[in-house]
Amino acid sequence: MSATLPLATPMLDPPVAPRDHAAGPAGARVTLVEYADFECPSCGAAHEVIQAARRAFGDNLRLVFRHFPLRDSHPHALDAARAAEAAAEQGQFWPMHDRMFQRQHALEPEDLARYARKLDLDVVRWGRVKALPSTEERVLADLASGRRSGVRGTPTLFINGARYDGPIERGLLMGALARAALAPHDGHGREP
Amino acid sequence: MSAEPSPAVRVAVREIGRHTLVRLLGYYVIAGGLLLLLSAVLPQNAAPTVAPSAPMPSTMGGMLDWFRGEVALFPNGAPRWVDALFQMIGAVVLVIPLAFTYVRTRTRVKFDHSLVQTVIMLPVVVTAILVVVRDSLALAFSLAGIVAAVRFRNNLKESGDAVYIFGAIGIGFASGIHALSVAAVLSIMFVVVELALWKFNFSADFERTFARLCLPSKADLAGVAEPADAPPEKPTAAAAAADGKSTRLRIYVDRVEAARPLIETVLARDAKRWSLDAEEPTTEHGAPVLAYRVRPRKSVGLEGLRSNLLREGAPHVVAADDAPEL
Repeated sequence: MSATLPLATPMLDPPVAPRDHAAGPAGARVTLVEYADFECPSCGAAHEVIQAARRAFGDNLRLVFRHFPLRDSHPHALDAARAAEAAAEQGQFWPMHDRMFQRQHALEPEDLARYARKLDLDVVRWGRVKALPSTEERVLADLASGRRSGVRGTPTLFINGARYDGPIERGLLMGALARAALAPHDGHGREP
Repeated sequence: MSAEPSPAVRVAVREIGRHTLVRLLGYYVIAGGLLLLLSAVLPQNAAPTVAPSAPMPSTMGGMLDWFRGEVALFPNGAPRWVDALFQMIGAVVLVIPLAFTYVRTRTRVKFDHSLVQTVIMLPVVVTAILVVVRDSLALAFSLAGIVAAVRFRNNLKESGDAVYIFGAIGIGFASGIHALSVAAVLSIMFVVVELALWKFNFSADFERTFARLCLPSKADLAGVAEPADAPPEKPTAAAAAADGKSTRLRIYVDRVEAARPLIETVLARDAKRWSLDAEEPTTEHGAPVLAYRVRPRKSVGLEGLRSNLLREGAPHVVAADDAPEL
């Protein structure tokens, strides 16, 4: 006879830290962490829902983005992630992130360079940083943290540190975020 | 010296599109000329007999008869198939503005590609049927029998699309009985009214006005919904708010009784119109939601209103989503 043990919800590992790309105040009532791949169409669809959530929650929401490039199925994903990291070095991570999600069909190196020019980045510096081994290591560190946190595919979301397993549909995600925002927590899914 | 159009007229022209109006007008002028010429070249009945050497008459009717007599290809009346062809061409020419209006007034979500083709083809078929049936009661009954035997069932994407089908049938019918002038009037009338209804979003913005007219005085209008949103194409809600149209705001709160007075204080100040649309209780998967239809003041805008709701509604209001559906 075997007893059925309740399965624990996977938690974010490591918790959100200053090294993460975050948009929104650190003291926001809810922190949404997204593991995503710039070339993944589902991530593109989720991007629109998450943008709507950012508008709806305002300063009550902090969005954190972590890379999870699926290199086997998306050949441009790693390069796009490096491009975003190189843009981050010039303080333009989020504009680059938004631009790549809006143009997922065009992620060739020349497309990425064009986006960098459009964002008024120092393109030479951007290209140099993009090619650095440390940039790729930064992306792969996110990938490793995703695997530790129980990420199996993209997009995967964590709301206040706990993995969100529901559909990434506007009404449902908003409801889950609102419930998390109203629950007492310390921003990492732990009771204070 | 040309008079400057009033601002209201300028806005109407701009929103429908100056090019749209000019193209439609030009199309009707050219189509009218073409059909008049064809009716002279391919007369249904024998062309008026005018002696070749006779001088050009001075009256308008006489001039037309003289012109028809000069240019008619079939002085004794066009053969039946030529006549049918002319009527079908007339039907197509007059139905194209309907198809154009459909394309112009439908959004991407409501647009039905196959309906455009149907609207163009339908009058041709209707014209052909009427040419075949003519005055034969027996043929009419046969047609009714055939139609009854075939199932024509199709779900239209929009109930308003049925009007286009009827319009196309009407044009086909008029063409089929040699009443192209009636078909032309129907076509022009249809296009003008449809564009006007679309431009003014008739009834959507005036639902409450109609309610005031139809309901007893002092009746409670709270249950009368504000106009519905445009379809969920982004950034619909923001664009609608910018245009001064209403938006559906789903406001996530912790406790309805605590949040509602705070929300409604902000709405009373920052919204031109607002009404509570629905109150969704707490569910297993989410927080309670108060859904309002709001028309923000232009000076505030949707984003300003949302920001004020979040700031002044804190800590009871956590989010305000402009999602168009529940």
